[in-house]
Amino acid sequence: MSAHPDLSRRAFLGALPAVTAGLAVPAQAAGDADPHWSMLVDTRRCIGCQACTMACAIENASPEGSFRTVVATYAVTAGGKTGLSLLPRLCNHCEEPPCVPVCPVGATFKRKDGVVLVDGDRCVGCAYCVQACPYDARFINHVTGKADKCTFCSHRVEAGLLPACVETCVGGARIFGDLNDAKSQISRRLKAAEGQVRVLKPEAGTVPRVFYIGLDEHLDGRVDGDSAADMMWRPRHAGA
Amino acid sequence: MNAIVEIIGFAREPGWLPWAVQYFFLIGVSTAAFFLSLPGLVWRHPQWRGLSRRALLAALVCGLTAPVALLADLHQPGRFLNFYLYPNAGSWMAWGSFFIPVYLGGLSLFAWLCLRPQFAELGRTDRRLAALYRTLAYGGHDNRSAIMLAAIVAALGAFLVLLYTGMEVMAVRARSLWDSPLLPLVMAVSAFTGGIGMTAFFETLAGSRQAAATLKRWLARTQWASLLLLAAWLVSGLSGAADGAADALAAMRASSGWLLTAAWLLGSTLLTLWLARRPGDALLALALLALHGSWLIRWIVFIGGQSLPKIGATRASYALTLTPDSLLGIVGMIGLCLTLYIVLTSLIPWDEKAPAAGDAS
Repeated sequence: MSAHPDLSRRAFLGALPAVTAGLAVPAQAAGDADPHWSMLVDTRRCIGCQACTMACAIENASPEGSFRTVVATYAVTAGGKTGLSLLPRLCNHCEEPPCVPVCPVGATFKRKDGVVLVDGDRCVGCAYCVQACPYDARFINHVTGKADKCTFCSHRVEAGLLPACVETCVGGARIFGDLNDAKSQISRRLKAAEGQVRVLKPEAGTVPRVFYIGLDEHLDGRVDGDSAADMMWRPRHAGA
Repeated sequence: MNAIVEIIGFAREPGWLPWAVQYFFLIGVSTAAFFLSLPGLVWRHPQWRGLSRRALLAALVCGLTAPVALLADLHQPGRFLNFYLYPNAGSWMAWGSFFIPVYLGGLSLFAWLCLRPQFAELGRTDRRLAALYRTLAYGGHDNRSAIMLAAIVAALGAFLVLLYTGMEVMAVRARSLWDSPLLPLVMAVSAFTGGIGMTAFFETLAGSRQAAATLKRWLARTQWASLLLLAAWLVSGLSGAADGAADALAAMRASSGWLLTAAWLLGSTLLTLWLARRPGDALLALALLALHGSWLIRWIVFIGGQSLPKIGATRASYALTLTPDSLLGIVGMIGLCLTLYIVLTSLIPWDEKAPAAGDAS
């Protein structure tokens, strides 16, 4: 893959002064080093518009009712006040992905650039990886009958583009880039937010490569709360 | 104190459907029934003779049906080839794909060797299929060494199948209900509950009650073991000694559905135990209860275990539908078992009078 996915339009945009908080800075790998792609989600900037959810679904042609990413939305009441907490969720592209060792045919693998992918030709659709993922990031695609998940839009990144969810994020809440490049926006933002950066389910030992700023500590795993799911739309059929 | 309501969340549909429940149930029943066939057919204990023959029938019926459920769960059955083309040695499921043929190959060989004298006997009659029986008999020798060897292979396979089916599920730390070192034991013990239940059911169908006392005694033991294991799991969760059990209990808290499930499981286990300890040789109700208990454990572990949220607050509900991967699949598996039972009992008499390995002793 190209180590310099710095297309002219995006390079131009990246060079512009940041006029809006939501301006997407292109993903750039460090000079000679292999990139290690990662994502930082600044939940303070998320407005819960689900544009990322839709962009991902359209870009990756997700089947109806299945999402590679979604913005979980919570009403949190504390001290008599109720506020909204937002938590964009996706595959965490873990350093120690529990989905990889369980795969009976080695169809799930972690690439050198940090992206966890599924080899669709080899996948048997046994859903063992779906079970093993602590983040519920995987599902069986009913069209292909195989495991499906966020790929960090690797096809776009290889073409020098940003993942669809990052590109479309209205508030600039999703920052994608190369952890190996100290000058990348994600590295700078992570350094600047040192001490405030959290990951989901740190106790699982998976070493996620999706980081969060402003993540409510009550929401980083199984949430001890109620769900309005029964009032929501749900996919009607599992086997179509 | 914070109160949280998940307004928008998503719960994944269960990745392992009732096919998985059926597979784990049938293969567990088969392995346990196979072990019950050993005392009569290998060690030739006279009081186990009839029981062991019915146990072998149960092992064959369930063992030959089980892989069909497994293949059906792959969405495209031909994909099973990838298990052998690209095995991943770090995966319990990959190992299972090798253990299953070892067990089923050993079981089939064991059954054939045990049945050879009977095939020879049938070949000497003027039945329409006499020629086929003579071919199957292949001399009709009661070769005890060969039977012992096949039994060892099948026993090794059965042990490995019981091991991998428990470990495969236990290895999934992301599922709180599965994340328990007790789970492989629960699965193995409940497999024996089912194996005894299926053998008792076939005893009833054969009109035999001679082995009722033996079956009831062993069934009572499995129920005690199940109760002990469930109590140990509960204590490990309530005391906080086991993270998985504690998290599962926290996720089940205040759920009337889970309360009902627990009451059902406990009630049916106690009822089975009570019936097993009662005098008398009636087996039908006990056999059905045992099969129910073994299947229920698997339904709770798989379908219930997948309903608990890994992340967020939304539970993944599951309802049976009239689709092939749901209710029709379950009915289909029962139908396949019934078909195999009819075929095997039509071709081979399984009653005490039928000559087979062990008659000479």
